[in-house]
Amino acid sequence: MPSSAGIGKEEFLASVRRALGRSPGPPAAAYPRLEETTQDLEDQARELRLRLETQGPRLMDQLATVAELQGWKVHRAEDPEDAMAAVLAVADSVGARTAVRTGQDVFYEVPLDAGAMNWGLAVFTATHDEGLDRQAVRDRIIEAEIGITGADYAVAETGSVVVVPRQGLGRLVSLVPPVHVAVVRPQDVVETLDDVFLLRRLEYHRNGGEMGSYLNFITGPSRTADIEQTLVVGVHGPKEAHMVLLG
Amino acid sequence: MADVKTQDFFAASAVSIQDPILRQALIKVGTGFDGARLAAIEDVTPNRWDEWREEARRIKIHTLDHLDYYLDLLERNVAKAGGQVHFAADAAQANAIVAGIARSGGVKIVTKGKSMVSEELSLNPVLESIGVEVFETDLGEYIIQLAGETPSHLVAPALHKTKEQVAQLFSDKLGLPLLESIEDMAKAAREILREKFLQAEMGISGANFLVAETGTLVIITNEGNGRMCTSAPRIHVGITGMEKVIPSLQDLAVFLRLLPRSATGQRITSYVSMVTGPRRETDEDGPEEFHLVIVDNGRSKMLADPELREALYCIRCGACLNICPVYKKVGGHAYGWVYPGPIGAVVSPLLVGLKQAKDLPHASSLCGACREVCPVKINIPRMLLHLRNELAESPDPKTNAATPAARLMARGYAWLMSSPALLSLSHRLARSLQRPLLMLPFSPLTKGAGGIGRVRLPFLSRWTRAKDLPLLPPRTFHEIWQQELSQTARRRDT
Repeated sequence: MPSSAGIGKEEFLASVRRALGRSPGPPAAAYPRLEETTQDLEDQARELRLRLETQGPRLMDQLATVAELQGWKVHRAEDPEDAMAAVLAVADSVGARTAVRTGQDVFYEVPLDAGAMNWGLAVFTATHDEGLDRQAVRDRIIEAEIGITGADYAVAETGSVVVVPRQGLGRLVSLVPPVHVAVVRPQDVVETLDDVFLLRRLEYHRNGGEMGSYLNFITGPSRTADIEQTLVVGVHGPKEAHMVLLG
Repeated sequence: MADVKTQDFFAASAVSIQDPILRQALIKVGTGFDGARLAAIEDVTPNRWDEWREEARRIKIHTLDHLDYYLDLLERNVAKAGGQVHFAADAAQANAIVAGIARSGGVKIVTKGKSMVSEELSLNPVLESIGVEVFETDLGEYIIQLAGETPSHLVAPALHKTKEQVAQLFSDKLGLPLLESIEDMAKAAREILREKFLQAEMGISGANFLVAETGTLVIITNEGNGRMCTSAPRIHVGITGMEKVIPSLQDLAVFLRLLPRSATGQRITSYVSMVTGPRRETDEDGPEEFHLVIVDNGRSKMLADPELREALYCIRCGACLNICPVYKKVGGHAYGWVYPGPIGAVVSPLLVGLKQAKDLPHASSLCGACREVCPVKINIPRMLLHLRNELAESPDPKTNAATPAARLMARGYAWLMSSPALLSLSHRLARSLQRPLLMLPFSPLTKGAGGIGRVRLPFLSRWTRAKDLPLLPPRTFHEIWQQELSQTARRRDT
């Protein structure tokens, strides 16, 4: 549906074609990446997984090193108990009483809720259901002192945690509270940005052209250098970013 | 469209070059931004920087050469994801589209992420005229919005302000006490704008890239305001130039490597956010409506000219500003429009009209540093020369068309330079001509520092007004070289 204030797509494209001196249609030489089939991507993803398996421990080390450089506070954890202790230590360090977390699978492994309760930290799972509408969930996130998430991917090349918002994983959990804690498992770790995009493309192809409404690369705390080119940490996003590396 | 003051470049630069605060800020641009860029590139191991630049350039060439195809693919995929794409031929249409979305959505408050295109369109006054309150949320943009100014840098829009000036501004406009630390200023902006993010019905963002394959808008930010604008309000409007599209999601990787390193020397920014349509039924949060406004506003003119098409490859990193000897002296405002620096000197004349911006192609020493640092290898000096030539050949005398004297000089110069014998003859001739002049007691030639002081030759006045024309040395390089060669030959013989 063309917007009444603008011009229609066809008219716009026609003026672009006039500028290019080109007639309608795809490029004469097809763009290789757009020619790839789901099977091609499956094959590439299989190779990728083999590569990641052989590099596992090295990648965890690389991720930890780069993440520190990028402003994360990295906590290495031997096992889920250890990871839980690391999260609670962060809460303790900022004197937090309330936290929100996502409903990601990692929290089946790391039994945060029970542990936190004993500690005196109330952890709320930010998911809407019949009992709780979106506004109520949003209010809880706004009040929380810490936001805790898992990682859909963690990228060793850049020290980034990638989250793909969906049911059970709100956009605001890792953004609104002043402290963000991301719990990363070994199976979340990939080597490069290309790896993430390959896996997302595969997802897109497998699901008939759907890969979700949002995706975020998060790399350390929120920052600015807009006044006198001086770095300040913590503007609209979290001032502290903690990465708990499991295994 | 934003106010055009490009015609005042020379007057404005003469003023800004005297501004001591601006001078300090611009010195820091070189040591800070450009220093960080160099360190970040150094850090790339194995060093594939040049490979990445080539790859990015190939992607841009391919996409722009088939732009209609990729815009069509993009539109279909945005629609498939539940979003709506709007096309605007010019600024008036783009602003009307956004105003229309705001009106039909009952929008009272808009929070805006950093968008150079919205600065180009001058969108805010249009929204304000229909009763919408607009809040810029990038700290630098927020500062210049409060001050009623325009950005002076592509990446750091308020770099021309000191923290004392910002403190005064926050005190005057927001009623805050005079803040001392930059931390406190950032905190104040966080608190004020946090409330606005949560009240706003509409968030507006720009786009660093648009992915045709998946219908995805990509923004690259550090503060988190871009995430807020695209997550908290009920409606998200992305507004961007038509050149931002790339074919595949996997093409994004190379640009994510190039852009942050070139802009701020970062390996990656704090956030890279990718929006594909509005929130889905089961999502926890996110906007219910997603609109993408794709703007031409003069870009098809650039596309149509093969000599100038590559200006559209620009990814707005600002690296060419940070290295430019002219930008680093005059700052961004002197350029008189939204896009400053070397790339601005090419883009502005094309978007506002060459006649309006006839001095900008001359705002360069053609040293070539901009081309060397450009992450997509845009040949800016070549385009500046092209524009200069266009101006010189113009039949309209108001566009810096070459005077008969300048034409004669250029022709004479070309003739001299085409023959070594003629060049050497002219050197000898000029040397003997300058000798008697030097012996005069108050010779104009001896006033400057070892050169011709303030000779005002009618066709050289622009050069000699601000710098000395050096005297010809006793011997030319060519003569020294010849002598070296013959001496070496003699040594070898003996």
